[in-house]
Amino acid sequence: MEIGLGAYLGLAMVLFGIGASGFLMRRNALIQLMSIEVMLNAVNIVFVAVNRFHPADHVGQIFSFFVIAIAAAEAAVGLALVIALFRIKKTVESDNADTLRH
Amino acid sequence: MNDWLFVAPLLILGLGSILMMLVDAFAKEKSELAILSSITMGVAGMISASALLSGAEAADAPEMVTRFLAVDPAALFFDVVICFGGALSALLAGGYLREHGLERGEFYVLLTLTTLGAVVLGRSTDMLSLFVGLETMSLGVYAMVAFRRGSSTAIEGAVKYFLLGSFAAAILLFGSALMYAATGSTSFTGIAAAMGDADPKLVLIGLLLIIAGFGFKVSAVPFHMWTPDAYEGAITPATAFMSVAVKSAAFAVFVRILFVTFGDELSMSLASGWPPVLAGLAALTMVYGNIAAVGQENVKRMLAYSSIAHAGYILVGIVAAFRVGSEAVSAVLFYLLAYTFSNILAFGSLILLGSRGREAVSFNDLRGVGRRHPMAALPFILGTLSLMGFPPTAGFLAKYYVFSAAVQAGGSMILLAILGMLTSAIGAFYYLRVTVFMFMRDPEPGQVKAIPMKSGYVVGALAISSLFVLGLGVMPGDVLEAASRAASLLLG
Repeated sequence: MEIGLGAYLGLAMVLFGIGASGFLMRRNALIQLMSIEVMLNAVNIVFVAVNRFHPADHVGQIFSFFVIAIAAAEAAVGLALVIALFRIKKTVESDNADTLRH
Repeated sequence: MNDWLFVAPLLILGLGSILMMLVDAFAKEKSELAILSSITMGVAGMISASALLSGAEAADAPEMVTRFLAVDPAALFFDVVICFGGALSALLAGGYLREHGLERGEFYVLLTLTTLGAVVLGRSTDMLSLFVGLETMSLGVYAMVAFRRGSSTAIEGAVKYFLLGSFAAAILLFGSALMYAATGSTSFTGIAAAMGDADPKLVLIGLLLIIAGFGFKVSAVPFHMWTPDAYEGAITPATAFMSVAVKSAAFAVFVRILFVTFGDELSMSLASGWPPVLAGLAALTMVYGNIAAVGQENVKRMLAYSSIAHAGYILVGIVAAFRVGSEAVSAVLFYLLAYTFSNILAFGSLILLGSRGREAVSFNDLRGVGRRHPMAALPFILGTLSLMGFPPTAGFLAKYYVFSAAVQAGGSMILLAILGMLTSAIGAFYYLRVTVFMFMRDPEPGQVKAIPMKSGYVVGALAISSLFVLGLGVMPGDVLEAASRAASLLLG
């Protein structure tokens, strides 16, 4: 049985939805960071899968490499910020970051 | 024209920041770096400005460049806005960091690399260069917000900005992935060319996700939650940079993607396209930004809400362009330039009014400072007059062009223009309130009086910005012409 593009897009949308709802519902900054990674991987699935159905060039596959590299850079900055937050607040729950309020 | 010239500003910014890392390793006096980074960005902006004003034709740019980066006059115009915003912020940082004992060289390197990312973002013609530019810019800005790493407000603002910014980038990226799925291309023109036989459902979802992603980046309501916290937590020169260069770059690529990629009839229609969505965002942004700014006790937070409000005015110009075309886009370009200089004036003056240990951030800090030090308060008044849209400043003409483009577009756009003018009147209230505090309120008994710092860098940046705010307001001719040429070539 041939698996069509629709199946891949469906999988990516489900994964993206899981990531987005994880980001919105959890309050732990580390979990939120992981949720963003899940969302980016949903994007990678779309790019690589679509590339198979548009094989004229390899833009999709190249794009997914860029996404992986940039996700790593983003994680580096993000973890640094979470560590800085933990040093000051002794917690990584983003609800406790509430000095700035109105 | 030599091929290298097309990417000269980018090369200068990239090589300049590498050079700065070397200088930082060996130099003892860190404020030399302020001059160096300011010159790097100034020169990069100057090159684009001279290419823009001389009207050089870029038709023979090699495909290797134009595949990912635009070289048209609009790209050059945004280069100028972004680079000048960066250069002036570097000067502000030169005074601020030394005064407050935060002198660490990496700030200037981050600033220059972030500007490089912003220029790439503003020039991008492909989803790939858009994403790389966006992340280069954003990651640098997150670090700049967290620069004062022992301060809980700075880290808190940075974490919130980082989480929401990365979330927005992922949404934007998923939108472009869906556009790729629908059309099989990632370049703006390639997507537009294949739009005809694309699945309209995928295109619509992709478009909405892309608009939501950009909504975060330009801080349009309801995607603005991070803005006040990040603006308040960041050190003031970084706030100034975020409010001018980062916002201009996001608007630059937003305009390009809307009119190049989504410029077809279906995407521009009132029934199923982006104009009604953006019009709604613009109305919400103007109303909420202005009303929320009224109740603020912190001047930086007030300016954050004011920058949200200005994003609303700019969105009005973008929406108007779907009917009026290049005239409205040129108004948006002019607005971004005027807004850059006005905002630098407001933040720069706020920096000038503080000194070590007594940074002026709240309205109460500013009590009576205008009477004691009128020269230091003057730039703030000029900047806020321009943000208010008071003649003969650049801000007046910018608002005038944007709203008259909206009126010209007719229909419900006139309502948006009226809403814009009404909310600008609210704006006058909170901008003038600062002036009232500076000149008509005495300090509370026992309050530490604000004393202006002495810094040639800050004064220089303020002088340049004042010159441009008044110059653009009195003689906008050449700049306006360049903007309208850029806009008409962008819309093709």
